[in-house]
Amino acid sequence: MAAAERLLRLYPRAWRERYGEEFLATVGRGPLQMQQMIDIVSGAIDAWSSTEVRGVTRPAAPDDGKERRMRIGLRGVCERGTLRYTRRDALIGAAVMLLATLALSAMVMAARRNGWTTADAVLTQLAFPGSLVLSMPFWLLKGQSWRSQAVLMAGLLAVLLAIAWLASLT
Amino acid sequence: MPRRDDVLAGLGRFSEPALLVLISLADGPKHGYAMTQDIEAVAGQKLGPGTLYGAIARLEARRWIEPLPPQERRRPYRITAAGQRVLRHRLAGLQAVARVGRARLAEG
Repeated sequence: MAAAERLLRLYPRAWRERYGEEFLATVGRGPLQMQQMIDIVSGAIDAWSSTEVRGVTRPAAPDDGKERRMRIGLRGVCERGTLRYTRRDALIGAAVMLLATLALSAMVMAARRNGWTTADAVLTQLAFPGSLVLSMPFWLLKGQSWRSQAVLMAGLLAVLLAIAWLASLT
Repeated sequence: MPRRDDVLAGLGRFSEPALLVLISLADGPKHGYAMTQDIEAVAGQKLGPGTLYGAIARLEARRWIEPLPPQERRRPYRITAAGQRVLRHRLAGLQAVARVGRARLAEG
Protein backbone atom coordinates (compact mmCIF):
# COMPACT_ATOMS: atom_id res chain seq x y z
CA MET A 1 0.00 0.00 0.00
CA ALA A 2 1.36 3.45 -0.95
CA ALA A 3 2.22 5.94 1.79
CA ALA A 4 -0.58 8.28 0.70
CA GLU A 5 -3.16 5.49 1.06
CA ARG A 6 -1.90 4.68 4.54
CA LEU A 7 -2.03 8.32 5.60
CA LEU A 8 -5.49 8.68 4.08
CA ARG A 9 -6.72 6.24 6.72
CA LEU A 10 -6.11 8.95 9.33
CA TYR A 11 -9.03 10.92 7.87
CA PRO A 12 -12.64 10.39 8.98
CA ARG A 13 -14.53 7.79 6.96
CA ALA A 14 -17.05 10.34 5.64
CA TRP A 15 -14.17 12.52 4.44
CA ARG A 16 -12.52 9.55 2.71
CA GLU A 17 -15.76 8.65 1.00
CA ARG A 18 -16.20 12.20 -0.24
CA TYR A 19 -12.63 13.17 -1.20
CA GLY A 20 -10.52 9.99 -0.89
CA GLU A 21 -10.38 8.97 -4.58
CA GLU A 22 -9.55 12.40 -5.94
CA PHE A 23 -7.16 13.04 -3.05
CA LEU A 24 -5.14 9.95 -4.01
CA ALA A 25 -5.30 10.92 -7.68
CA THR A 26 -3.92 14.37 -6.74
CA VAL A 27 -1.14 13.02 -4.52
CA GLY A 28 -0.12 10.26 -6.96
CA ARG A 29 1.39 6.90 -6.08
CA GLY A 30 5.01 7.91 -5.83
CA PRO A 31 6.96 8.36 -2.59
CA LEU A 32 5.96 11.33 -0.46
CA GLN A 33 8.25 14.11 0.73
CA MET A 34 8.38 14.80 4.47
CA GLN A 35 6.65 18.16 3.95
CA GLN A 36 3.77 16.46 2.11
CA MET A 37 3.40 13.88 4.90
CA ILE A 38 3.23 16.61 7.55
CA ASP A 39 0.66 18.46 5.42
CA ILE A 40 -1.47 15.32 5.05
CA VAL A 41 -1.35 14.60 8.81
CA SER A 42 -2.27 18.19 9.66
CA GLY A 43 -5.08 17.93 7.09
CA ALA A 44 -6.35 14.83 8.94
CA ILE A 45 -6.38 16.73 12.24
CA ASP A 46 -8.28 19.52 10.51
CA ALA A 47 -10.76 17.06 8.97
CA TRP A 48 -11.51 15.65 12.44
CA SER A 49 -11.65 18.97 14.26
CA SER A 50 -13.38 21.35 11.84
CA THR A 51 -17.18 21.33 12.09
CA GLU A 52 -17.32 23.05 8.70
CA VAL A 53 -15.33 20.32 6.97
CA ARG A 54 -17.35 17.62 8.73
CA GLY A 55 -20.51 19.40 7.61
CA VAL A 56 -19.58 19.29 3.94
CA THR A 57 -18.57 15.63 4.05
CA ARG A 58 -21.76 14.59 5.83
CA PRO A 59 -24.55 13.47 3.46
CA ALA A 60 -27.09 16.27 2.79
CA ALA A 61 -30.27 16.13 4.87
CA PRO A 62 -33.25 15.15 2.70
CA ASP A 63 -36.19 17.55 2.41
CA ASP A 64 -38.83 14.89 2.97
CA GLY A 65 -39.81 14.63 6.66
CA LYS A 66 -40.20 10.85 6.64
CA GLU A 67 -36.82 10.32 5.02
CA ARG A 68 -35.31 12.76 7.49
CA ARG A 69 -36.69 10.84 10.47
CA MET A 70 -35.41 7.58 9.00
CA ARG A 71 -32.00 9.13 8.50
CA ILE A 72 -31.87 10.34 12.10
CA GLY A 73 -32.87 6.86 13.30
CA LEU A 74 -30.26 5.18 11.16
CA ARG A 75 -27.53 7.70 11.81
CA GLY A 76 -26.33 6.00 14.96
CA VAL A 77 -26.01 2.70 13.11
CA CYS A 78 -24.61 3.91 9.81
CA GLU A 79 -22.39 6.86 10.60
CA ARG A 80 -19.86 5.32 12.95
CA GLY A 81 -17.06 6.99 11.02
CA THR A 82 -18.29 10.52 11.76
CA LEU A 83 -17.37 12.51 14.82
CA ARG A 84 -19.91 12.45 17.65
CA TYR A 85 -19.26 13.46 21.20
CA THR A 86 -21.57 14.74 23.88
CA ARG A 87 -21.17 17.52 26.41
CA ARG A 88 -20.33 14.83 28.99
CA ASP A 89 -17.53 13.48 26.77
CA ALA A 90 -16.16 17.00 26.39
CA LEU A 91 -16.17 17.47 30.17
CA ILE A 92 -14.41 14.13 30.70
CA GLY A 93 -11.86 15.14 28.04
CA ALA A 94 -11.30 18.46 29.82
CA ALA A 95 -10.84 16.69 33.18
CA VAL A 96 -8.31 14.26 31.66
CA MET A 97 -6.47 17.17 30.09
CA LEU A 98 -6.34 18.99 33.42
CA LEU A 99 -5.07 15.93 35.28
CA ALA A 100 -2.47 15.19 32.60
CA THR A 101 -1.27 18.81 32.72
CA LEU A 102 -0.91 18.56 36.50
CA ALA A 103 0.95 15.24 36.23
CA LEU A 104 3.32 16.61 33.57
CA SER A 105 3.84 19.78 35.63
CA ALA A 106 4.77 17.63 38.64
CA MET A 107 7.28 15.82 36.41
CA VAL A 108 8.71 19.19 35.32
CA MET A 109 9.19 20.20 38.95
CA ALA A 110 10.84 16.86 39.78
CA ALA A 111 13.19 17.21 36.80
CA ARG A 112 14.03 20.78 37.83
CA ARG A 113 14.72 19.73 41.42
CA ASN A 114 17.09 16.99 40.24
CA GLY A 115 18.86 19.25 37.75
CA TRP A 116 17.81 17.24 34.65
CA THR A 117 17.85 20.22 32.30
CA THR A 118 16.93 18.42 29.05
CA ALA A 119 14.01 16.58 30.66
CA ASP A 120 12.92 19.85 32.26
CA ALA A 121 12.95 21.72 28.93
CA VAL A 122 11.22 18.91 27.00
CA LEU A 123 8.48 18.36 29.59
CA THR A 124 7.83 22.10 29.89
CA GLN A 125 7.21 22.28 26.12
CA LEU A 126 5.12 19.11 26.21
CA ALA A 127 2.89 19.84 29.21
CA PHE A 128 -0.06 21.47 27.46
CA PRO A 129 -0.06 19.94 23.93
CA GLY A 130 0.76 16.50 25.38
CA SER A 131 -2.22 16.73 27.73
CA LEU A 132 -4.46 17.74 24.84
CA VAL A 133 -3.37 14.68 22.84
CA LEU A 134 -3.86 12.39 25.85
CA SER A 135 -7.42 13.66 26.29
CA MET A 136 -8.37 13.06 22.63
CA PRO A 137 -9.66 9.45 23.00
CA PHE A 138 -12.31 10.71 25.43
CA TRP A 139 -13.90 13.19 23.02
CA LEU A 140 -12.35 13.96 19.63
CA LEU A 141 -11.44 10.37 18.75
CA LYS A 142 -14.35 8.75 20.56
CA GLY A 143 -15.95 5.96 18.56
CA GLN A 144 -12.86 5.37 16.43
CA SER A 145 -11.09 2.01 16.38
CA TRP A 146 -8.31 1.56 18.94
CA ARG A 147 -5.90 1.26 16.03
CA SER A 148 -6.78 4.68 14.58
CA GLN A 149 -6.58 6.20 18.05
CA ALA A 150 -3.21 4.58 18.76
CA VAL A 151 -1.71 5.64 15.40
CA LEU A 152 -2.93 9.22 15.66
CA MET A 153 -1.92 9.68 19.29
CA ALA A 154 1.47 8.00 18.95
CA GLY A 155 2.18 10.05 15.81
CA LEU A 156 1.21 13.33 17.43
CA LEU A 157 3.12 12.59 20.63
CA ALA A 158 6.21 11.61 18.65
CA VAL A 159 6.05 14.86 16.63
CA LEU A 160 5.54 16.93 19.81
CA LEU A 161 8.38 15.14 21.56
CA ALA A 162 10.71 15.71 18.60
CA ILE A 163 9.81 19.41 18.44
CA ALA A 164 10.29 19.82 22.21
CA TRP A 165 13.62 18.01 22.09
CA LEU A 166 14.84 20.10 19.14
CA ALA A 167 13.73 23.27 20.93
CA SER A 168 15.69 22.20 24.02
CA LEU A 169 18.88 22.02 21.93
CA THR A 170 18.74 25.68 20.89
CA MET B 1 -6.22 42.38 11.97
CA PRO B 2 -8.45 41.18 9.10
CA ARG B 3 -10.76 43.75 7.53
CA ARG B 4 -14.41 43.23 8.30
CA ASP B 5 -15.31 43.17 4.58
CA ASP B 6 -12.76 40.43 3.86
CA VAL B 7 -15.01 37.38 3.97
CA LEU B 8 -12.12 35.09 3.07
CA ALA B 9 -10.43 36.02 6.36
CA GLY B 10 -13.13 33.94 8.08
CA LEU B 11 -11.34 30.86 6.73
CA GLY B 12 -8.42 31.44 9.12
CA ARG B 13 -5.20 29.79 8.00
CA PHE B 14 -7.02 28.53 4.90
CA SER B 15 -7.81 32.04 3.64
CA GLU B 16 -4.75 32.29 1.42
CA PRO B 17 -4.99 28.76 -0.03
CA ALA B 18 -8.73 29.38 -0.62
CA LEU B 19 -7.94 32.63 -2.45
CA LEU B 20 -5.42 30.77 -4.63
CA VAL B 21 -7.98 28.03 -5.39
CA LEU B 22 -10.59 30.64 -6.39
CA ILE B 23 -8.03 32.37 -8.64
CA SER B 24 -7.13 29.01 -10.17
CA LEU B 25 -10.77 28.21 -10.93
CA ALA B 26 -11.54 31.67 -12.28
CA ASP B 27 -10.61 30.67 -15.84
CA GLY B 28 -12.46 27.35 -15.85
CA PRO B 29 -13.06 24.08 -13.93
CA LYS B 30 -10.06 22.12 -12.68
CA HIS B 31 -9.43 19.04 -10.57
CA GLY B 32 -7.11 18.98 -7.56
CA TYR B 33 -3.89 18.09 -9.38
CA ALA B 34 -4.47 20.72 -12.09
CA MET B 35 -5.14 23.30 -9.36
CA THR B 36 -1.86 22.59 -7.56
CA GLN B 37 0.06 22.82 -10.86
CA ASP B 38 -1.70 26.05 -11.82
CA ILE B 39 -1.20 27.63 -8.38
CA GLU B 40 2.48 26.72 -8.44
CA ALA B 41 2.85 28.31 -11.88
CA VAL B 42 0.90 31.45 -10.99
CA ALA B 43 1.88 32.09 -7.37
CA GLY B 44 5.01 29.99 -6.92
CA GLN B 45 3.40 28.11 -4.03
CA LYS B 46 3.01 24.35 -3.95
CA LEU B 47 -0.09 23.59 -1.89
CA GLY B 48 0.12 20.33 0.03
CA PRO B 49 -2.79 17.91 -0.45
CA GLY B 50 -4.04 18.38 3.12
CA THR B 51 -4.09 22.15 2.72
CA LEU B 52 -5.65 21.97 -0.76
CA TYR B 53 -8.54 19.76 0.34
CA GLY B 54 -9.00 21.75 3.57
CA ALA B 55 -9.51 24.83 1.38
CA ILE B 56 -11.71 22.98 -1.14
CA ALA B 57 -13.99 21.63 1.64
CA ARG B 58 -14.42 25.12 3.14
CA LEU B 59 -15.11 26.74 -0.24
CA GLU B 60 -17.61 24.01 -1.02
CA ALA B 61 -19.30 24.47 2.37
CA ARG B 62 -19.76 28.17 1.57
CA ARG B 63 -20.95 27.31 -1.98
CA TRP B 64 -18.20 29.43 -3.52
CA ILE B 65 -17.13 26.43 -5.60
CA GLU B 66 -19.07 23.34 -6.66
CA PRO B 67 -18.04 19.84 -7.70
CA LEU B 68 -18.70 18.56 -11.22
CA PRO B 69 -19.21 14.88 -12.13
CA PRO B 70 -15.95 12.92 -11.65
CA GLN B 71 -13.77 12.16 -14.66
CA GLU B 72 -12.14 8.80 -13.98
CA ARG B 73 -10.76 9.22 -10.44
CA ARG B 74 -10.57 13.00 -10.56
CA ARG B 75 -13.38 15.38 -9.74
CA PRO B 76 -13.23 18.84 -11.27
CA TYR B 77 -14.56 21.89 -9.42
CA ARG B 78 -15.89 25.14 -10.77
CA ILE B 79 -16.28 28.55 -9.22
CA THR B 80 -19.88 29.66 -8.55
CA ALA B 81 -21.35 33.12 -9.08
CA ALA B 82 -21.03 33.75 -5.31
CA GLY B 83 -17.39 32.62 -5.47
CA GLN B 84 -16.72 35.03 -8.32
CA ARG B 85 -18.22 37.89 -6.29
CA VAL B 86 -16.03 37.01 -3.28
CA LEU B 87 -12.92 36.76 -5.46
CA ARG B 88 -13.63 40.07 -7.22
CA HIS B 89 -14.14 41.77 -3.86
CA ARG B 90 -10.96 40.32 -2.36
CA LEU B 91 -8.84 41.20 -5.40
CA ALA B 92 -10.16 44.77 -5.31
CA GLY B 93 -9.15 44.97 -1.63
CA LEU B 94 -5.66 43.64 -2.38
CA GLN B 95 -5.34 46.08 -5.29
CA ALA B 96 -6.19 49.00 -2.98
CA VAL B 97 -3.58 47.83 -0.44
CA ALA B 98 -0.98 47.39 -3.20
CA ARG B 99 -1.74 50.89 -4.52
CA VAL B 100 -1.13 52.39 -1.07
CA GLY B 101 2.07 50.36 -0.66
CA ARG B 102 3.41 51.49 -4.04
CA ALA B 103 2.52 55.11 -3.32
CA ARG B 104 4.33 54.98 0.04
CA LEU B 105 7.39 53.44 -1.55
CA ALA B 106 7.44 56.22 -4.14
CA GLU B 107 7.22 58.83 -1.37
CA GLY B 108 10.08 57.29 0.61
